[in-house]
Amino acid sequence: MARRGFNGALMRAFTKDHVATVREVEYLAPHFVRLRFHSDTLLDDVVLAPAVWLRFWFPGVDDPTTEHQRAYTITEADPTSGDFAIDCVLHEPSGPASVWVAAAEPGDQISVMSLGPSKFTVPPEPPEGYLLIGDAAALPGICSVINALPSDVPVEVYLEQHHPCDPEIPFADHPRMQVHWVPRLDDTSLAAAIEARDWSNWYAWVTPESASLNHLRVRLRDEFGFPKSEMYPQAYWVEGRAMGTSRTEEVTTTTPQEKPAPTPPAPTPNTTTTAAPAQPQKQAQPQKQAPPQKRWKANAGSRLLAPLKSTFIVAGVLQALVTLLELAPFVLLVELARRLLAGTGGLWSLGITAVVLLGVGAVLATAMMVWLHRVDARFARETRQRLLGKLARLPLGWFNDRSAGQIKKQVQDDTLELHYLVTHAVPDAVAAAVAPIAVLVYLFAVDWRLGLALFIPVLIYIVTMWVMAVQSAAQTVQAQRWAEWMATEASVHLEAQPVIRVFGGGAGSRLSRKLDDYTSFINGWQRPFTGKKTLMDLATRPATFLLLILGLGTPMVISGSLAPVDLLPFLLLGTTFGSRLLGIGYGLAGLRDGMTAARRIQTTLEEPELSAGPVPTRSNTVGVEFDQVGFSYRPGVPVIDNVSLQLTPGTVTALVGSSGSGKSTLAALVARFHDVDTGAIRIDGRDVRDMTADELYSAVGFVFQHSQLVAGTVRDNIALAAPDATDDQVEAAARAAQIHDRIVQLPQGYTTMLGPDAALSGGEKQRLSIARTLLADTPILVLDEATALADPESEHLVQQAISRLTAGRTVLVIAHRLHTITHAEQIVVLDHGTVCDRGTHDELLQCSQRYRQLWEAGSGTSTADPLSVGTEGVAL
Amino acid sequence: MIRAVIALLPANQRPRMRLHLLLTVLSVIVRSIGTVLLISLVAALFGPDPASAWPWLGALAAATALGWVLDTVISTMGFDIGFALLTHTESQIADRINEIRLDWFTAGNTATTRHAIAATGPELVRLIGYLITPLLTGVGLPIGIGLALLPISWPLGVAALVGVPLLLGAFFGAARLSRGADRATAAANVDLTERLVEFARTQQVLRASRRADGERGLAGAALARQHGASLRLVAMQIPGQLVFSLVTQLVLVLLAGTTVVLGVTGTLSAPEAVAMIVVIARYLEPYGALAELAGVIDSARTALRDLSAVLAAPTTPRGSERPVMAAPTIRFEQVGFAYGEGPAVLDDFELELAAGSTTAIVGPSGSGKSTVLQLIAGLHAPTHGQIVVDGHRLDALTEESLRDLVSVVFQEPYLFDGSIADNVRTGSPEATDEDIARVAALARVDELIDRLPDGWHSRVGEGGVALSGGERQRVSIARALLKPAPVLLVDEATSALDTENETAVARALSDDPVRRTRVIVAHRLSSISAADRVVFIDQGRIVEDGTIPDLLAADGRFASYWKQQQAASEWQITH
Repeated sequence: MARRGFNGALMRAFTKDHVATVREVEYLAPHFVRLRFHSDTLLDDVVLAPAVWLRFWFPGVDDPTTEHQRAYTITEADPTSGDFAIDCVLHEPSGPASVWVAAAEPGDQISVMSLGPSKFTVPPEPPEGYLLIGDAAALPGICSVINALPSDVPVEVYLEQHHPCDPEIPFADHPRMQVHWVPRLDDTSLAAAIEARDWSNWYAWVTPESASLNHLRVRLRDEFGFPKSEMYPQAYWVEGRAMGTSRTEEVTTTTPQEKPAPTPPAPTPNTTTTAAPAQPQKQAQPQKQAPPQKRWKANAGSRLLAPLKSTFIVAGVLQALVTLLELAPFVLLVELARRLLAGTGGLWSLGITAVVLLGVGAVLATAMMVWLHRVDARFARETRQRLLGKLARLPLGWFNDRSAGQIKKQVQDDTLELHYLVTHAVPDAVAAAVAPIAVLVYLFAVDWRLGLALFIPVLIYIVTMWVMAVQSAAQTVQAQRWAEWMATEASVHLEAQPVIRVFGGGAGSRLSRKLDDYTSFINGWQRPFTGKKTLMDLATRPATFLLLILGLGTPMVISGSLAPVDLLPFLLLGTTFGSRLLGIGYGLAGLRDGMTAARRIQTTLEEPELSAGPVPTRSNTVGVEFDQVGFSYRPGVPVIDNVSLQLTPGTVTALVGSSGSGKSTLAALVARFHDVDTGAIRIDGRDVRDMTADELYSAVGFVFQHSQLVAGTVRDNIALAAPDATDDQVEAAARAAQIHDRIVQLPQGYTTMLGPDAALSGGEKQRLSIARTLLADTPILVLDEATALADPESEHLVQQAISRLTAGRTVLVIAHRLHTITHAEQIVVLDHGTVCDRGTHDELLQCSQRYRQLWEAGSGTSTADPLSVGTEGVAL
Repeated sequence: MIRAVIALLPANQRPRMRLHLLLTVLSVIVRSIGTVLLISLVAALFGPDPASAWPWLGALAAATALGWVLDTVISTMGFDIGFALLTHTESQIADRINEIRLDWFTAGNTATTRHAIAATGPELVRLIGYLITPLLTGVGLPIGIGLALLPISWPLGVAALVGVPLLLGAFFGAARLSRGADRATAAANVDLTERLVEFARTQQVLRASRRADGERGLAGAALARQHGASLRLVAMQIPGQLVFSLVTQLVLVLLAGTTVVLGVTGTLSAPEAVAMIVVIARYLEPYGALAELAGVIDSARTALRDLSAVLAAPTTPRGSERPVMAAPTIRFEQVGFAYGEGPAVLDDFELELAAGSTTAIVGPSGSGKSTVLQLIAGLHAPTHGQIVVDGHRLDALTEESLRDLVSVVFQEPYLFDGSIADNVRTGSPEATDEDIARVAALARVDELIDRLPDGWHSRVGEGGVALSGGERQRVSIARALLKPAPVLLVDEATSALDTENETAVARALSDDPVRRTRVIVAHRLSSISAADRVVFIDQGRIVEDGTIPDLLAADGRFASYWKQQQAASEWQITH
């Protein structure tokens, strides 16, 4: 076997080597090669994800019996065929890797191993942007990261240019990406080139050359405030060293090239940036002054918990005391044994001391628990009150963007998670840490030699654990995926039950097959662990410690180098030392979960609220006026762009356009689901941002596709906006909304309790909410696909209800079917957030091509939905 | 819990499980003996001649090593048994699901089943090794030590044995107290949570109605209530957290006290008394290990509960008749049906569908139309009465002949991840290419195939998400038409899809050359028109029954429905 150095040998012993054969060599740039390989087995070990590495073992240049490792990012992979590719920079001076790659030809073979799971995932709520830093060697990884990013987040890429041809290397595409090539002057130039700006809540992927990394890490952390969790720093190579040396040599090799002394970060802008061809370019402007920093979401948890800081400190100190008191009986036992052996008295006083200490410990622990629970109750109430207040001030759009499950998680699960954090997490963590440390100090004070011996089993445990972690790195990730797959598979199987029962056959046996695969995965994953887990258990069990202590202690006592009494503390406390020490990790886990929940809550509490506009404008118009309105959900991706529109009182205005044209967003802006970014929306001349919620919603009512009912009676629901309405008024509204007859059929008529699960059909709920809107009697009405969810049997009734509702009001409508709005006074055709045409139906048919397309897509039938036919298409 | 495990265990594993338990007991005995050997060893070390400890040390080493060997064997066996438990249970679950009554799958039971399939695997494999073995050892070792002490010093042995139920009682009692307190807290939280979630969920309407002031509303009141409750619950939380450690320390003092008394009275020599103290510490150790099992016990309990729930779920009765049928007569005889414990959807329902006829079922939502179809398809079983098909009771048929009898177009069709061709072929794996082309034309799938770049090989995504609702519906019509079943059931989609879709439904009813008895739950005039007969249902009863011209002439419920439908299609938004 080839030599790989100590670390390499360890690796070799515990992970599987695969053989890969070169299929193809392609030069993507003069110094940049893509190698395509085939391996029958390798990809079985790899969980494909962005920036996954493989470890290659290249033969030494001078001594081919040695092997040198070098990691490369997978750039292409097809798990079914076993084909994959890597991109390599040919470094100067060439190390074993560059030498091998430069000479590689189809048919050549090389050893490869999987290097564990990807370090990159896009979280469900992506950061504000991605800052990607590296150089040519890191490009394959950076490109795979870019390809995984959502298209609407901004991406800033800083690349250190080591070779004149670097910008020629093909690069990934992203609509919101800025690329900066920074020529390397010294190891500070890249760090200095990063724009001084507010990087709050960005994520940084930092994978440049090692020396550059050190400077970058400092600047990102100290100057920009990047928290650890939002930064992934990893050096991909080291300047001036022949790359691809084996690990042992890496430690000992010194840099042969002379390195320029670090100079202050002051390169001039014109030399720091050259733009990659065909890429958006931007000049990096290094600035000296510290950039402004907003609040980092990653630190939000600490902000939420800040008022509890002193509570935690006191609780920690108290718990430390309690833990020591719990250990005290063991020390007293040693003293007891000493006195028994010596035959001295004072045994009673020892007993009394023990009982007193016990009592004090119990009282202290109880007092602390009661106190923490009270603090927790108060804190939970305050947090929930703030949350409640916050919910009432958030833009309505915030709720639209989140599923019921997500909202439930925030108001319920996270606040419950806080309970453990406040009442138990700190004491548990302190207890877990203080106990082994106290025992350790005590035992070392008694006899350091025996104390040291106690670490032998712990070491065995840790090494075994490490081996297990290395061997199963891929499987641990796979296990996670399997759990997700099986959950999906189970959902599918249950959801498809009717189909499976009617059609049977292959559809039904899919779950069994998948379950078989899953069990064999679990077998392959867990079985090899059985032996190691047993070893870990045997090594750290008390009996083993006991044998160790006595095995060493007996000869020491016999030879006289240890007093028998000094053996006692070990026999009493040393046996559980191992499990105590290993418990520290568990104690800290609770803290982590709680902090995550605290972070999510605080993030919600810090969400931007609706606020008064900078300078609310006024005008003399009557009705609703959109004045050059612009709006976007994410900066830089406008959804509504410079829309001006006038809704004359008492007229119907229809918004039409394909899905994604912004018509629903525009309608929602009138109801102030969001605040406009530019321009203004005015009602009778007043900016909506200048109106209180009461004023606004006295003027604007809305009926959407999904009608919401609140818990309460039918009457409560209809009279929600007008609690003082008389029974006659409520009934009149219900009659007008065609729902009265249905209500009297309910068990208790108007006093029937409704909940989210009320036994009303979609059309009935819709009519109920129309009755509510009728009673609220707002002069302006927004309708968004209000009949879309009505069942065919009650569609007619919903339509009649809407006809009653719209009478005499200013209406803004988004139509489910174009033919329903042909009589509107004004039809506005939206396209990509801008108004492309407006007029009446006849005018538009004549002169608007876009409108004609929409009309024709839906014409010929009375029921077809032109919008879904025209635009949904097939996403294959 | 051990009983639940044994119930899940396949019969061929029982002897192995017995051997495993036997070895576990043996291991406990060996460890107990090892502990008692300590007395002589420590006493020798503290005595006048420490060198006499050597043989005892040798014995201790031998006992410990024997324990290692035993436990290695036990853990390997434990994994094997756990793995057998897993494979056996998973296959049982997979089989069982296909037999469970569909109305059992409420939201809660569906979640339970999903968990039983997806999340119990690793739990089961580890059950023996990580839970049963440590649990037995943790409980057994103190008893073993107590018993082993009896011949050496009976008062201490007795004290130790008395301590066992005390400590175990404190351990499990504390766990129960904590669970009780947690439940009470959770109950206090439920109301609050519901209010908070609702407050968030209904923000739109609350604000539109100017009622969004949370603190003064229902949510605020619930918050105040919950705060009061949580303060009261503090008193419940504390005992669970303190009882066990208190009892442990008390037992320690008690045993140490006994030892001291024995030592002072001269029953034990001083070195022996010291050795006893060491043994006492060892006696208490297993309880610490038990405390670490609490979490494992909880998750295993959940897993076992979910598995048993699924395995005990009610199944649909099946018979043994295997008749071969052409388009049959279908008769409902006094059929009653209710979902679970809910109100009756159908009651004394009587209906006869002639062989080879096409019947449209029409009526308001919630009238029981779809239930009628599901009963014919055997997806639900009548709670009383029976459905007779060509003289055979439906529940007397085998599962296979029932499946061969019907083909269904579902209201919300589910397509499997795969190509369009795969999905259509689900209807009849033996179908020829001509058959498939024929149904594709009938169901207007051919138009879709022409339009998609990958044609027949276009992937539909899980559930069919890559297709629009109308396209999904058409593929499912083709799938149903391909199946050579003598009964075709169509549950028309309620939402308006597209023109092609309406054409497909109408053609499936009128142009399908296979002779079948057809029933359609219809919403649109075009599909109603394709039927020979219309049955108008309201609240689980037939209110009108006849041909379209007859019913229109009668000017009853159907006629007004017909007119409303026509009016709805011409409606416009105006003032």
